[in-house]
Amino acid sequence: MSRYQDRKERFPLAWIVPGVLLFLWQVSASLGWLPATILPAPSAVLAAGWALTLDGTLPANLGVSTLRALAGLVIGGGIGFGLGLLTGLSRISERLLDPTLQMVRNVPHLALIPMVIIWFGIEEEARLFLVALGVFFPIYLNTLHGIRNVDPQLIEMGRVYGMSPRRLFRRVILPGALPAILVGLRYALGIMWLTLIVAETIAAKSGIGHMAMAAREFMRTDVVVLSILIYALLGKLADSATKALERRFLRWNPAYRR
Amino acid sequence: MSKHKGAALTLSQVSKRFGETDVLHGVDLSIEPGSFVAIIGKSGCGKSTLLRVILGLEPASTGHVSSDSDAAHARLVFQEPRLLPWASVAANVAVGLGERGDGPEGVAAAREALADVGLAAKADDWPSTLSGGQRQRVALARALVSHPTLLALDEPLGALDALTRIEMQSLLENVWQAQGFTALLVTHDVGEAVALADRVLLIDAGRVALDQPIDLPRPRRRGDAAFAALEGAILERLLDAPASAEAR
Ligand SMILES: Nc1ncnc2c1ncn2[C@@H]1O[C@H](COP(=O)(O)OP(=O)(O)OP(=O)(O)O)[C@@H](O)[C@H]1O
Ligand SMILES: [Mg+2]
Repeated sequence: MSRYQDRKERFPLAWIVPGVLLFLWQVSASLGWLPATILPAPSAVLAAGWALTLDGTLPANLGVSTLRALAGLVIGGGIGFGLGLLTGLSRISERLLDPTLQMVRNVPHLALIPMVIIWFGIEEEARLFLVALGVFFPIYLNTLHGIRNVDPQLIEMGRVYGMSPRRLFRRVILPGALPAILVGLRYALGIMWLTLIVAETIAAKSGIGHMAMAAREFMRTDVVVLSILIYALLGKLADSATKALERRFLRWNPAYRR
Repeated sequence: MSKHKGAALTLSQVSKRFGETDVLHGVDLSIEPGSFVAIIGKSGCGKSTLLRVILGLEPASTGHVSSDSDAAHARLVFQEPRLLPWASVAANVAVGLGERGDGPEGVAAAREALADVGLAAKADDWPSTLSGGQRQRVALARALVSHPTLLALDEPLGALDALTRIEMQSLLENVWQAQGFTALLVTHDVGEAVALADRVLLIDAGRVALDQPIDLPRPRRRGDAAFAALEGAILERLLDAPASAEAR
């Protein structure tokens, strides 16, 4: 309760510093102290956003980027979740697979970009592969970790109370592992956008990253800043989505209850 | 409330060893249907193991456990409540019904069991909002909801404060009298054993070292001279008993 009130009080306070910065930025740009080639005025960025929305460039690129991000997340996250379940539930699978996966994990996935371009060119598969690889590990590791850390006393209770393995999984193991899995998802979403930014900037013919790179060639800094802000917004959106998931699925946990 | 028959149990020459450790050897025991039996003994003497062997959660190394009715149905209450934190109180109780607990009848049965332990109002709450004593009452409701013929309790009140313990003891006595199951209670507390049981078993060196009937009328009062005398005598035996480790 008191935390709630705190937040309410801090709310306007938190907006003062960004507001002042934005104001100073706008004023120095309008007065010509800040050349548009270095940093365009916030109003110019807004105008660029409006213009690109009207001519359809922004919605199209936004759609392409979002679709890529989600497709990569579903593929990489799905495989990570599946393998996490497998290694979490079966010691043999863990001994067979986990050491290899832990080893591969040490390779930064973005270091593979040259290799990926050789394999796939700058086709859609290249981006998907990188995003999927990026989101795979946080989901895999946290699923495995979550399952391994389910309270063994609860598992014993489930067995003693006659739960079948399937029921035990659905009623005890999966809900017990869910907090960790959602933490993994949150990490994965961060990596997802980061990977997409890099992949679209280096090797793409569409998407927000490509829009920014194309604008750079014409010194359209307003469009570049717009792209950066959109990435930031998408990242925030993804983060809020996981928070909403946590509030929905972890209601039972006092730490997540509002 | 319907009266359910208690299970009768017979243990013949039950032994249990874990590797080199001989935990139980040659336990012979027969337990009356519907009776309340308390099991006491020093820490590590094998009380939990005996309970688990009786419930069939651990196989006996030699000997065997038999029960009279083929419909013998046992439930175990742990020292900790072990509630699923992500399930409502009623859903936790319904766990005791297994697959049958999923439907509306399951929910109704769960609510009824909760009412028996005085927690009907908490059915829709999360376990994390309950006190320790309330959680253990939910665990008791979960064990009772399927109307077991044998209820085994492994130090179920060990973690509770003194006042809550006494409340829980009379609750336990009441549900036992109302439902007629056979109760097997492992406890560290000799007073608790004397307050609740028809019969107190002292386990030492893998055997039943003392088998003490308690004939005091119920409800029992701890202040009574007869109560105190029995409690004192059993405590004496418990302390006198050679340490299990030495006996091995
Ligand atoms: N699964 C097991 N594997 C090996 N040894 C075990 C196992 N379970 C119990 N033991 C041993 O059996 C002995 C009796 O254990 P048990 O848990 O039955 O004691 P207890 O009387 O319930 O003790 P407490 O009062 O502390 O709960 C102990 O020495 C313990 O180390
Ligand atoms: Mg024990």
